[in-house]
Amino acid sequence: MYEYSEDEFMAEGDDFVYSASDYSEIDDGEESAEETPNQRSQPVGTQTQNNTFSAGAGFDDDDYYGGEGGEFEPVIASHSSKKPWEVDFKVFDPNELRAKQEAIIGRMEPVLATSKDATTLLLRAYLWKDEPLVEDYLTDPEGTLTKSGISIDQTSPCTMSGDPDFVCEICFCDGEEEEYFAAPCGHRYCTACYHTYLVGKVQEGASWRITCPTHKCKMLVGEEGARLLLKDDEENLLRYNSNLTRSFVNDRDSFVWCPAPNCVYAIECHVARSALYTTVPSVECKCGNRFCFGCQIADHMPAPCYMAEKWLQKCRDDSETSSWMKVNTKECTKCRSIIEKNGGCNHMTCRECRYEFCWVCMGSWAEHGQHYYNCNRFNEESSKEARDSISETRAQLERYIHYFTRYNNHEQSAKLARKLLATTEKNMEQLQRELTLSWIEVQFLNDAVDVLSICRSTLKWTYVLAFYMKTDNQMIIFENNQSDLESATEQLNDLVENPTSHGAIEDIKRKIIDKTTYVKSRWETLLTDTALGLQENRWQFTI
Amino acid sequence: MALKRINKELKDLERDPPSSCSAGPVGEDLFHWQATIIGPSSSPYEGGVFFLSIHFPVDYPFKPPKVNFTTRIYHPNINSNGSICLDILKDQWSPALTISKVLLSICSILTDPNPDDPLVPEIAHIYKTNRPQYDKTAKDWTQKYAGKNIA
Repeated sequence: MYEYSEDEFMAEGDDFVYSASDYSEIDDGEESAEETPNQRSQPVGTQTQNNTFSAGAGFDDDDYYGGEGGEFEPVIASHSSKKPWEVDFKVFDPNELRAKQEAIIGRMEPVLATSKDATTLLLRAYLWKDEPLVEDYLTDPEGTLTKSGISIDQTSPCTMSGDPDFVCEICFCDGEEEEYFAAPCGHRYCTACYHTYLVGKVQEGASWRITCPTHKCKMLVGEEGARLLLKDDEENLLRYNSNLTRSFVNDRDSFVWCPAPNCVYAIECHVARSALYTTVPSVECKCGNRFCFGCQIADHMPAPCYMAEKWLQKCRDDSETSSWMKVNTKECTKCRSIIEKNGGCNHMTCRECRYEFCWVCMGSWAEHGQHYYNCNRFNEESSKEARDSISETRAQLERYIHYFTRYNNHEQSAKLARKLLATTEKNMEQLQRELTLSWIEVQFLNDAVDVLSICRSTLKWTYVLAFYMKTDNQMIIFENNQSDLESATEQLNDLVENPTSHGAIEDIKRKIIDKTTYVKSRWETLLTDTALGLQENRWQFTI
Repeated sequence: MALKRINKELKDLERDPPSSCSAGPVGEDLFHWQATIIGPSSSPYEGGVFFLSIHFPVDYPFKPPKVNFTTRIYHPNINSNGSICLDILKDQWSPALTISKVLLSICSILTDPNPDDPLVPEIAHIYKTNRPQYDKTAKDWTQKYAGKNIA
């Protein structure tokens, strides 16, 4: 969990402040989006889009953001329904992102006392970090503007005009009467060339960073200029606007795009990079995708980002193959072929080079004479070391395989759980028909599957945590929590898979509901324990 | 538009040719030029005649021309294929630049290589640690590949 102290809040950027008006607007948008049908097919989409299926009612955004235009509120941290592993986050759709930009610009305009266009460009150039901007601007307004590529003279905006004597240096359309365009720097090019230039940049993904085409001129064309040039080109204007929104998210540490394919939402979450060692900022997008805000891979609670990354790397690496080879094979000392001994005596003959040697000491067989099973070099110091190092590698490999098997098992089961969802829906229909139950009354199956799939994901990553954990008493407590959750999850899985084979339906329903609640509470206990444990440095890790 | 602009540049080059370089179309195709650069006198390339090929993209001047050395040259920013690592030929290209300005920029990197952004790290390393060695190799290559008799 990441609790904000009031000071941290102020330091991290008070742009997370909502005025009462823009706040309510955003809120409305969210509620309407909540009703989208794709919620149903998502693994944990039955309740609200908040990142939990806490036993109590899902809390709405007012709980998260404290409402009333105040700071991003410390009250939340002590809010009774916020769990230790949860982080505060907010999902934005493109319109809300635009509204948010407008709100920040509107707030900064009177502070800087500049035009709206200049304020916007300054904020973008400072990557929306308002504190350094205000500091720089109030100390040296002209220098700040020039450095950011903005005209000092607020009264000379972009010009678009005609001039019979004008020759465009891009197309040399001399002689004809041409309309020209110039950014505030005054470098004039014909409107057609400027437009082509701008469109080229927009199609490369650029937005506010587009400068005057003159070599080495750093003057920004600005939004006003771009809109003027693109006024009859709707397609590229749309693209320009979407590039602006894209850069708003990309330029800021506290925003990321949801990594799901074709998802248009962005997530805001205030977690410092340094806090990622002890916090797992798991967020859930409105599209149903659960992912880690810190590294944008699929949710990996309770293992922190660096551990998840290291583990995935380890799984991808051939390093495990090579350690298997180290344990189980030897190289022919003559031709370096890799040999696995799968039976027989110690008298080896390399199939590649026909070299004959002793498997025990790797020396030439010729020196052994007739003493087949009595290699007297076996107990020498050097062979002993070699044996020790082999058994150590073997132990490490076995440890890895132990954790990997369990990790992999939950991953596979999670995939099966998704299939289970399909059969569950069939089961629910069957129950409805056979027992004339209402739709609401059979929802318990769906809830159970949701809980199953999130528990599988969590269990999977507990094995990663355990793999890197040093054995001590604290680890035993962790493993007890893990095994409680695991056995409860398996029991629930069994109940859900064959709901009709366990007796009367009312009985089953009660059993499943009870078990679901129990599993949920085990899940919460485990996450609370790991979240607090990580923050308290309760465990020692080998990385 | 590209054609008109290329024609204009050609006319300007004929009217007011730069001192150390020249350029013009190879044949009928105005989008394919050949250029020559005379090695600058204050550099180890002095006296060499270097040939370059220039290909204009169809959306010239909004996209940069493709410029390559066809004569071999020993230089930290030019590799053995003749590719040139020069900012204005990549992201710093501006439609207000011309071939004549590009050639002048190339002349200036011949005089002052940029070893901190090298295309050939080995040459950049020698340039930074053993200037006499670099000067000698560059001079040898110039004589061997860009000697006047070959040109």
